[in-house]
Amino acid sequence: MIELKDIEKYYASKGVKSYILRHVSTTIKQGEFVSIMGPSGAGKSTLLNILGMLEEPTYGSYSFMGEDVTTLNERKRIELYRNHIGFVFQAYHLIDEMTVEENIEAPLLYKKVPGAERRSRVADILDRFNMVAKKDLFPNQLSGGQQQLVGIARALVAQPSIILADEPTGNLQSAQALQIMELFKKLNEEEGITIIQVTHSEVNAAYGSRILHLLDGVIKEDVNL
Amino acid sequence: MFRINLKIAFRNLVKNRVYAAINICGLAIGLTAFILLLLYINHENSYDRWSPELNRVYQLRERHDFFTPDNKQYWQEVNDSKVAALVRENIPQFKYVTKVDNTWGSGSSIKAGSSDPVMMDYIRDADSSFFKVFDYQFLQGDPVTALNQPNSIVLKQRTAIQLFGTDQVLGKEVKIVMWRTDKGTPMKITGIVAEPDMPESLLFDAIMHTGEKDKDPINYTNFCRVYALAGSDIDTAAVNALLQKTYVDFKKSSFVQRKISFTDVYKTGKTPGLKAIPLKEVHASPPFDISWTDQIKPVIALSVFLLLISVINFVNLATAQSAQRAREVGVRKVLGAFKKQLMVQFLLESAIQCLFALFLSIALVELLLPMFNTYFEINLSFWYSHQLLGILTQLAAVFITITLLAGLYPAVVLTNYQPVAVLKGNYQHGFKGVRLRNGLVILQFMIAVILMISIGVMKLQTSYMADKNLGYNKAQLININTNYDEGFVNHIRRLPGVQYVASTTQVMGNVFNMPEEISYQNQNYNMNTVTVTMDALPALGVEVVNGRMFSAKYGQDTVNTVVLNQTAANLLGKNIIAKSYDVKSENEKYTFQIVGIIKDYHNEGFDKAVLPTIYKVTMLGGTSSTNNLLVRFNTVNYQPVIKAIEKEWRALYPDFPMIYTSAEDTFQQQLKSSHRLVQMIFLFSIVSVALSLLGLFALSAFMAERKIKEIAIRKIMGATDFQVINMLNRSFLILVALANLVSWPIAYVLINKWLQGFAYRIDMPFMPFLMATFMSMIVSILTITIRARKAAVSNPVEALKYE
Repeated sequence: MIELKDIEKYYASKGVKSYILRHVSTTIKQGEFVSIMGPSGAGKSTLLNILGMLEEPTYGSYSFMGEDVTTLNERKRIELYRNHIGFVFQAYHLIDEMTVEENIEAPLLYKKVPGAERRSRVADILDRFNMVAKKDLFPNQLSGGQQQLVGIARALVAQPSIILADEPTGNLQSAQALQIMELFKKLNEEEGITIIQVTHSEVNAAYGSRILHLLDGVIKEDVNL
Repeated sequence: MFRINLKIAFRNLVKNRVYAAINICGLAIGLTAFILLLLYINHENSYDRWSPELNRVYQLRERHDFFTPDNKQYWQEVNDSKVAALVRENIPQFKYVTKVDNTWGSGSSIKAGSSDPVMMDYIRDADSSFFKVFDYQFLQGDPVTALNQPNSIVLKQRTAIQLFGTDQVLGKEVKIVMWRTDKGTPMKITGIVAEPDMPESLLFDAIMHTGEKDKDPINYTNFCRVYALAGSDIDTAAVNALLQKTYVDFKKSSFVQRKISFTDVYKTGKTPGLKAIPLKEVHASPPFDISWTDQIKPVIALSVFLLLISVINFVNLATAQSAQRAREVGVRKVLGAFKKQLMVQFLLESAIQCLFALFLSIALVELLLPMFNTYFEINLSFWYSHQLLGILTQLAAVFITITLLAGLYPAVVLTNYQPVAVLKGNYQHGFKGVRLRNGLVILQFMIAVILMISIGVMKLQTSYMADKNLGYNKAQLININTNYDEGFVNHIRRLPGVQYVASTTQVMGNVFNMPEEISYQNQNYNMNTVTVTMDALPALGVEVVNGRMFSAKYGQDTVNTVVLNQTAANLLGKNIIAKSYDVKSENEKYTFQIVGIIKDYHNEGFDKAVLPTIYKVTMLGGTSSTNNLLVRFNTVNYQPVIKAIEKEWRALYPDFPMIYTSAEDTFQQQLKSSHRLVQMIFLFSIVSVALSLLGLFALSAFMAERKIKEIAIRKIMGATDFQVINMLNRSFLILVALANLVSWPIAYVLINKWLQGFAYRIDMPFMPFLMATFMSMIVSILTITIRARKAAVSNPVEALKYE
């Protein structure tokens, strides 16, 4: 599904290149649950951003579902977001002015899903996540864990083939974090959604099927669990 | 999608309600001024458009120097009455030509049955073709034959109702008394016309046909207005060329008859001229005054500036707020929103605010219109306007323009945020548009400072004008609208309280200048001549500089002595008392002796210089028939004396009411137009300064919020509250100072231009410049400090706790 070849990312300042990523090559198959680990500054987030096409690599090639997406125009990229990629953020990034229900509905609006189907899909998700009672609340009325659930629900509602999560439990207490990880595992196993997460936590990484260890921009270890 | 965007827009408005209120109120104020202006322009543009027939109506304009304020030639509405016949005979393109009275502002008395006479300003005498040229809608009577018979009259519907209480008056009679001693003529009502629903440049209460306008006097010139109806669409330029040629030929032949040489008459650079202008353009091109389009130019500039200031506030607040929205943009982009969709969303939010502002301003317009109408002596309405559809279209255009102006830039800034930058939670980089915002703040303050300097200078100039010595004493002086009649004058001269009764052809409010060329010591001078009665100069209370004024003691004073004003005396040189000059006219030579010099006195506004003038007394003091009868009282409490004069008047002229004005009122009337401009600029300045400060306040509030962390860190490092306030103030004060710097030269140039328009003006003062700068700085500091203090005294721990 994902193929990275010789990806490099560096910033040149005053003629000195400072590398974030070096010679990163890997393949991620449909249905994998990959955790990217490593110390601060190892390039984990940059790698995830490149995977999510939020950043472009300085060098190397990236193909997503058999298509070369190394450089892609905005329109095509957004089409990919609409149909294939769901994002989950550490800081949840819900839209403050929208209720829970509206936040979840937003990607469907952009995807131009017809009204009736939209409503039923949102209702489905709310039901699955046990949040029907909270659908009219605004994000600031929810706990962090609940907000992250909404964030995941929002990522899932468009039925993506892959979820990219940047430290999804970074701001959560451990009990809530466990709940989120269980959910990821279930989605991965039962629905076959590919999940790539960046995490600091060995415990969280253990939920996945594969761990990429990054150090100073280089993949040091690639472990299948 | 639209619905959810709308919902979000509203939620955002509620969330930032203070800023939204500032935006909306500011825009509403700007729009209100703009809509009022729009209504005014529409009204002025709607003159003489009440019938499609009027597209083919033309007004004839002759170029001459009679009745002009400065003895120069103008294209005038009043023509030699012979022009009508000339046009009728020589210009086949015109189907009908009509002559109609210029009313000269004196009014006629009209009386229905035995009721009291009513003074009406616009009872015009016309020839029988009037309603063939002007397509008035006849409610009763026949437009073709209504004016065929002499002594017939056609009333406007409102006139009929005013006189009779009904408009069913066809065939009834009214008695018209055209001047004081007129015996009065009974007129048969032959038609009632409806009042057009749009304004007319040729106002009338009634059109009568006395027969006077059917013929042209042979030995003298009768002046009247001439209008013509073209048979079909005509080439105005070609017709005007033909008119000019015909007119010059006519002048030449009439000079041959009168044995005057054509080149003699026009040797001083004056030229004969006759042209036709479309009726639609008549209102916009008055013969003497500047047209309304020129008059409102400063007002247009002011309203545009005001609107600009409120739009700037909008743009500044929106871009400042954009940091708040940056994350939302990032999220939406990764959720699959195209840039265009986001753009539409943000424009929609601006549009909602603009729409609120528009509704608010329409309410404000409704509220302000009555005041506006009284102030400008105009009758505008919004909802009842017959141009409502046009106005609504214009408003829609304004709405779209403002939405784009205010919303486009913030929308572009917002949609350009890169998700990877803003989603990391660091939107310091996302805080864009600082340079533009600074530029806009400078622009805003430039406008405010220029306006403040302007009001300063204008206030000084107006108080200079109000206090300036006019050269005559305007207190305890009235001007009765009538000619000098020895019998009446003798009656009122005896009344206690009356000091002088006199007549003159030149008094503020009613000036009739006559140019004359004199020859003094073999040099020719162009002078203005004024005819007065013996007592006129003392009645006005003018001062003698040298020599004496006229007096009954000197028999020759009614023959060939003259008094000069200072300007005329300066022209002729020194030691001119008792010297003589000649006036040549058709083979004869008259000699006049100069007996006195008086100080210049003003009889026009201060925009016009006093002309070099010669004052002469006529034989009996009676031929100066320009409807001025000056009465000077020697008591402050002169109202009872006026009552007594009115009693005398009624006894002599029962059918003609007495009309008079006080010299003080006339003077105030003269100042009115420049007063209005000053007051308007004053109002606009206050509002624009207030709006600018409001914008600055909101912007500094945003700044303080954004810098909350920096402030906290500085405080931990030991900065005092005062230093923090200073820090926040500095960035804005630099902008305000810069704005001041740029404003000074611009204001200087603009105001200098305005002052040039006055023949009597103050020197450019320095104080207003200093005051404006001082004020703008102080008020800015105060405004920013209010918000900055709040940020400065907050506990730094609060700001640093959450990261």
